[in-house]
Amino acid sequence: MATALAALLLIAVAVGPISTLVSLRGLEFLSEGIIHAVFPGIVVGYVVAGIPGLYLGSLLAAAIAAAVLTFISRSGVASGPSIAIVLTSAFGIGVIVVSQRSDYAGQLQQLLFGRVFTISASELLPLALGLFIALALVAITWRRQVYVAFDREGATAAGARPLTTDLALNGAIALTVVAASAAVGTLLVLAVIIIPGAVARLVGSSLSVGVAIATAFGAFSAWIGLTVAFSLSVSGATHLPGGAATVLVMVLAYLLAGAMRFGRNVARKRLPARER
Amino acid sequence: MADRHPQDRPDPIRRSLITLRDAAFGYDGRVALEHVDFDIVPGEAVALLGRNGAGKSTLLKGLLGILSPASGTVVGSPRTGYLPQTHRIDPDFPITVRQAVTMGRYHDRGWLRPMRRVDREAIDAALERVDLSGLARSRFGDLSGGQRQRALLARALTTSPELLLLDEPFNGLDRPSRDQLLRTISALTAEGVAVVVSTHDLTLAHDVCDRALILDGRVVASGNVDELLHDHHLRATLHDDPHSQPAHA
Repeated sequence: MATALAALLLIAVAVGPISTLVSLRGLEFLSEGIIHAVFPGIVVGYVVAGIPGLYLGSLLAAAIAAAVLTFISRSGVASGPSIAIVLTSAFGIGVIVVSQRSDYAGQLQQLLFGRVFTISASELLPLALGLFIALALVAITWRRQVYVAFDREGATAAGARPLTTDLALNGAIALTVVAASAAVGTLLVLAVIIIPGAVARLVGSSLSVGVAIATAFGAFSAWIGLTVAFSLSVSGATHLPGGAATVLVMVLAYLLAGAMRFGRNVARKRLPARER
Repeated sequence: MADRHPQDRPDPIRRSLITLRDAAFGYDGRVALEHVDFDIVPGEAVALLGRNGAGKSTLLKGLLGILSPASGTVVGSPRTGYLPQTHRIDPDFPITVRQAVTMGRYHDRGWLRPMRRVDREAIDAALERVDLSGLARSRFGDLSGGQRQRALLARALTTSPELLLLDEPFNGLDRPSRDQLLRTISALTAEGVAVVVSTHDLTLAHDVCDRALILDGRVVASGNVDELLHDHHLRATLHDDPHSQPAHA
């Protein structure tokens, strides 16, 4: 439980600013494309060399995915369908590779939905390293990332190079996927990357507050999700995967934040009417 | 309204900030604007007129250096400020007015160097210039359309541009905001800043600019605003509405 919590807290710290940028730049679908494109790398690496191969394979796939999807999204020509094609074909390749194994169903489930409770202490180091590099990419390019997110055309006119900015952010997303997939699985890592930023967008009053909210939200959801999953599993009530429980907590919190935002907007609209 | 007199106009022998000769610009191998001859000297204001798709924004991107010429030459690289169309910017973006204006200094500061006193002074001066100092801590999205535009103009002014490019700056503005923008443009040109304004509004082009280029995939006509706007054929080319004719025509 302690190792699982440490892994998810590391992910939460890295994902706070990355998720905030994903939300501000509307890169949710591109993130999904990267995540699914990384899947065959994870599978091939895992099939060939087990857990160590998982990181190497996914790293290679992540680098290719970040470059290809950056190019596709910048081309501006039907980038949505192109990303969808990359996403589905990569996922299909991954499933075909993993289906060649005799324990196909169990391994596929582990790769898709993670194995957070069985992650070992020795796996925390590569996880932290990958997340640190991802965070560094975003930190170094932070000013440009915010400028491009706010006004891409204005940033370009001011001499920013959006290609560098796009590659840095997509690379950071890919590295986060690589680092977090072993813990929460490739499908659930999408929620980890998208939901904290979406919540920060709903309730954050400023950019810095938004990043803090996204980070704290990820950490808090991990703590609640793991605690609930661990308690239920130990008590024998039901077997609840820690990664899935964490994501469900995130989704519920997002719905709550959305309801609060909706209520606040309604109240704002009614206020002038009452004053009149 | 801004008044411009012949004696205020810039000295034509002054050095051109940027010169285009038979330049063509386009996207993905397709030419959108061609045969452009253009130059602008300090203190001059030039209007780019034309219907949608005529090439106004394309020419602005060519002047900014975002688009490289497909053919022809572009000589000169003045310090340039750019005011984009405000409606393209997400009003829910969680930044303050001051943070938005600060972006204008990012290029000078690079990736990581902190803002210095000179940057903060430039930001304060730009906010003061557009009369937004009192709203510096307000959220950008809480401002009116005119105030947002002034904030983006302040961002463009933080670099003390020699050439200021304004993309459809009068769209959606109420009259007080429009008049304030006209006054700001006039003050900037009086200080020697060259200004290029793309607009559909013939009246505003007449009020603020010395010269105009009428575009329709190429330069249909160029010259003195008054003379161009009295040409019925050229007015027909613009396909503008009858309310947009010059006030002094």
